[in-house]
Amino acid sequence: MPSVPDFRSRWASAAAGLAVLASALVGCGDGGSTGPVTLNWYNFPDDSGALQQAADRCGQQSGGRYTIHYNKLPRGADGQRQQLVRRMAAHDADVDVLGLDVTWPAEFAEAGWIREWTGEMRERATTDTLDAAVRTATWRDRLYAVPYNSNTQLLWYRDDLVPTPPRTWAEMLSRAQELADQGKPHFVEIQGAQYEGLTVWFNTLVTSAGGTILTPDAQAPSLGAPAVTAAGVMHDLATSVAADPSLPNQMEDQNRLAMESGTAAFELNYPFVYPSMKANQPELFPHFRWAPYPAVSADRPASVTIGGIDLAVGSYSRHPDLAAEATLCLRDRDNQLTNALKGGLPPSLRSLYETAELTTSYPFAADVLAALDSASVRPQTPAYQNVSIAISHTLSPPADIHPEKDVADLRGQIEDALGSKGLIP
Amino acid sequence: MTPSTEAAAAAVPKAAGPSRGARQERRLGLLLCAPAVIVMLAVTAYPIGYAVYLSLQRYDLRFPDQAHWVGLANYGAVLTSSFWWQALGVTVLITVVSVAVELVLGLALALVMHRTIFGRGTVRTAVLVPYGIVTVVAAYSWQYAWTPGTGYLAALLPEGSAPLTEQWPAIGLIILAEVWKTTPFMALLLLAGLALVPDETVRAAMVDGASFGQRLRLVILPLMKPAILVALLFRTLDAFRIFDNIYVLTGGSNGTGSVSILGYDNLFTALNLGIGSAISVLIFVCVALIALAFVKLFGAATPGAEPEHR
Amino acid sequence: MSSRHTRSLTGWGIANLVVVLYALFPVWWIVALSFKDPSTLSDGDFVPRQWTLANYRGIFETSEFTRALVNSIGIAVIATTIAVVLGTMAAYAVARLRFPGKRLLIGVSLLIAMFPPISLVSPLFDIERALGLFDTWAGLIIPYMTFSLPLAIYTLSAFFREIPWDLEKAAKVDGATPWQAFRLVIAPLAAPGVFTTGILVFIFCWNDFLFAISLTSTTSARTVPAAIAFFTGSSQFEQPTGSIAAAAVIITIPIVIFVLLFQRRIVAGLTAGAVKG
Repeated sequence: MPSVPDFRSRWASAAAGLAVLASALVGCGDGGSTGPVTLNWYNFPDDSGALQQAADRCGQQSGGRYTIHYNKLPRGADGQRQQLVRRMAAHDADVDVLGLDVTWPAEFAEAGWIREWTGEMRERATTDTLDAAVRTATWRDRLYAVPYNSNTQLLWYRDDLVPTPPRTWAEMLSRAQELADQGKPHFVEIQGAQYEGLTVWFNTLVTSAGGTILTPDAQAPSLGAPAVTAAGVMHDLATSVAADPSLPNQMEDQNRLAMESGTAAFELNYPFVYPSMKANQPELFPHFRWAPYPAVSADRPASVTIGGIDLAVGSYSRHPDLAAEATLCLRDRDNQLTNALKGGLPPSLRSLYETAELTTSYPFAADVLAALDSASVRPQTPAYQNVSIAISHTLSPPADIHPEKDVADLRGQIEDALGSKGLIP
Repeated sequence: MTPSTEAAAAAVPKAAGPSRGARQERRLGLLLCAPAVIVMLAVTAYPIGYAVYLSLQRYDLRFPDQAHWVGLANYGAVLTSSFWWQALGVTVLITVVSVAVELVLGLALALVMHRTIFGRGTVRTAVLVPYGIVTVVAAYSWQYAWTPGTGYLAALLPEGSAPLTEQWPAIGLIILAEVWKTTPFMALLLLAGLALVPDETVRAAMVDGASFGQRLRLVILPLMKPAILVALLFRTLDAFRIFDNIYVLTGGSNGTGSVSILGYDNLFTALNLGIGSAISVLIFVCVALIALAFVKLFGAATPGAEPEHR
Repeated sequence: MSSRHTRSLTGWGIANLVVVLYALFPVWWIVALSFKDPSTLSDGDFVPRQWTLANYRGIFETSEFTRALVNSIGIAVIATTIAVVLGTMAAYAVARLRFPGKRLLIGVSLLIAMFPPISLVSPLFDIERALGLFDTWAGLIIPYMTFSLPLAIYTLSAFFREIPWDLEKAAKVDGATPWQAFRLVIAPLAAPGVFTTGILVFIFCWNDFLFAISLTSTTSARTVPAAIAFFTGSSQFEQPTGSIAAAAVIITIPIVIFVLLFQRRIVAGLTAGAVKG
C-alpha cells in the first residue's frame, strides 16, 4: 500500500478540517469594523418582495451608516416565537430588530428582551398610528415596540344568497337557518380549532358584549356576564345548522377554502380572502361582499380583536440607536404602503387609509379602518400564552360549551395561568 | 474432554491472571468502542444532565433570575395533573395498537419483500417510500384527505362527519397515519432478519412436511427473534414519543394529545423549563421501563449481555 | 408444473400489487396535490383535473430550496457514513470481544436514544453557539450522528451476534488470506445488517425537523424539512400546500434512489459455494 499519498492526503484533510473549523469560528464573529454596520431584522417570511424592498430602501436612505439584512423566520407564529425566545434567552447580540406578533410585547418586555422607546423616538413611533395598534405595543404604560402592520376581521358574505348583511349574531344564525331550509349553502365559517384563533373569537365576543377577559391591571380574570354571553354565542353557532362539520378543526385557511368551495354563505375572516377569491373563483367573486363584524347585541357595535406585527429593538443589540432609526424607517409611510399593496397587509398608519392607491386595491379599506378604530386588544400580560391556551382548551370543541360552567372553570384556570402555576394542557 | 477436566485445564492459566490474548482483546474492544462512546457522551452528557437539573428547579425562561431549587415539586405537580394522565393514556393506547399492527403488517411485508419472485427491487423500494417521506408532509396530506369537502377519504364517510374533530375517530386516524408511515421501519428490520434465516433449514422443514404456518411459527420466527426484538424495542420507544402526526392532524386538541405534545407545550409555549423538563424526564422513565420490560420479560438479549458463542 | 408456476407467479404478482398500492396510494395523493392549481386544491379530486407545474416552478424560483437540498444531501450522507463506521466498530467489539463495560455501553446508548429530544434542543443550541457550530453543517452532523448511533450499535450488534464467526477460521484453514476470509465470508453475512442500518440512519437524518429548525438560522445549513417551514403562501394565513407537496415529491426522489441502491444488498448472506458449512 503506497504510504506517501496516504500521508499527504491525511495532512490535507487535517488542514481542511482546521480551515473549516477556523472559518466557522471566524464567521460567527463581528462582520468587520470597516464599512457600514449590518443590522439583522428577523421577521415572518414574505415572498412578495415587499419586506426585502423595505430593507434595501432603508439601507440606502441611511447614507452609508447601516444596511439591513432581512432574516426570515418560520411561517407559523409559534415557530417564530420559539426562535426569537431561544435567541433572546441566550442574549443574542446579533438580533437587532424583531418582528413580534401583537400579543408578544408584554412577554418580551417583562423578560427584558426588548428596549423601551422614550422621548422623541416614542413621539415619532406613535404619530398617525392607530390607537389600538399602539396599545398592543404598550406594557405598563411604556412603549416597547412600534406598530408595523395591523389586521382585523370582517364579515364576508355572498350577496346572491343574502341580499343585506346581518348586523348581529342572532340575525346571522336565523338567516343561515332560512337558507338551510331552502336547501341553499348556509354555513357560517369561523375559526373553531383549538388554537389562538379560538381565543381571538372569544376575545372579540367578550369585548363586543362590553366586558374584558382580564382586569385592567392584568392581575386577575374579569370575565363575568359578558363572558357568559360570549360563550353562549359560540355554543349557539356550534350547535346550529350554520356550523360547518369541520368547525372544531378549522383555522383561517380552512375557512377560506370552504367559502371558495361554495358550501358557505358567511365567513368571519381577515382580508386575505378577498384577493384569493378573486384569483381562485372568478364566478363566485362578483357576489363576494363584506360588511362589519356582526355585533353581539343590537345596541352595541362589535369590537373586533386587532392583529398584526409590531417591530421591536433587541436589548442585546450592539447598535441600539441605529436599530431604532432603522425600525422607524422600515415602518414609514412608503414602506407600509408597499407592504399593503404587495404583501396584502393592512397598514397601521391612519393617513394611508385615505390614499387613492390603497382604496383602489383595498375596496374595503374604510370598513377595515372603522373596525380598527373600535378594535379590542387581547389580554396584555407576560403570561399571555398560558392564558390563551387555557381559553382555547376550555372552549374547545365549541359545541360542548356550557357557558356558566365553562366560564367559572376558565376563571380558575386563568388565575393559575397568570401565576404560571401547574401544567398547561 | 469432560466438563470437569476442561474446567480444571481452564482454571490453571486463569489463576495466573488474564492472559496476554485476553488483555489484547480487552484493549481492542475498548479501542473500537471509544469513538462512538466519546461522541455520544460529549454531545449528550451536558444536555441530559442539564435537563435533569432543570427539572428540579422552578424556572421560567422569561425570568431566569427567579429560578430556584424546588426538589421534586415539579414531579409532584406533573403526576397529580389530570393533563398528564390523560396524555399518558392516549400515548399508551396509540403505542400498543400501532406497534401490534405494525408487527403483523411488517412481517407480511417482509415476507413479500423477501420471497417475491419478480420485481423485488420495486417492491422493496415502494415499501420504504412511506418511511422516507417527511413526516410533517405526510401528516398534512392525511389531514387534507380526511377533511370533509377537500379530501378523497372523507368523501367515503357518511355526509357531514369530520373524523378528525372527535376524540376516538381522531385517535384511530392518528394510528393509521403512524402505522402507514413507520411499518417500513419494522418491515426493513424484519427483512434483514429474514435474510439471515438459512434457506436450507427452511427447505429441510418443508421436506419434512411442515406447512407454511408451521414453518413460519417453528422455524422462521424463532430464528428471527433477535431481529424481531430489536425492531419491536426501537419501534415501541419511538411510538411512545409520537409527536409530528398528532401535531399536524389535530394539534393535540379534543383529548388526542400525547405526552410529547404535553412536554412540548409546557417547554416551548409556556416556557416553564422546570415542568417541561420534569415531563421529559418522566417520559424517559416510562420509556426506560418499557425497554427494561423487553429485556427482562421477552428475553431481548441485550447484545453483549450473553456470553458469546465461539 | 407450468400451471403451478403460473399460479405462483400470479399469486406473487397480486401480493406485489397489493403491497405497492398500500404503500403508494397516499403518496399519489401528495403527488396529485403538488400538481393541482391553488384554485382546485379543495375539490377533493384524487386525480387533478387541471395539471400545473406552477408549484414546482415556484419552489425553484429562489435558490433557497436548492441550497436546502444540497445541505440535506451533504449532511445526511456524511452523518450516515460516520455513524455506520463508528457503529460497526463498536458493534463488532460488543458482539465478538470481551471487555469490561460492555453492558454499560449498551445501557448508556439506549438511555441516550430514549431521552426526549425536545429537552435537549435548547442546551445544544447554547453549546453550539458557544463553539461557533451554530448554523453550520457540523452543527447538524454531530447531533445526527449521536442520536443515530444507539440504533446503529444495537441493530448491528444484534446482527453480528448471529454471524457464525467460525466460518472465518474455517476459511483461513482452507487457505484463504485474512482479507479474503473477511471479504468472501464475513462481509456478505454482515452486509444485510450494515445496509439496513445505513438506510435507517439516512432516513433519520433526512427527515429530522426539530434539530434542523433549532440549530440553523440561514440557508447555509438549513435542511429541507426545516426549509418547508419557511414556505409561504400568498398570505400569512394561507398554507402553501401546493409548494409543500411539490417539495415533498422532490425530496423523496433521493431517498428512492438511495434505497434502491442499498436494498439490493439485503439478501441472504452465504454466497453459494464459497464456503462449505
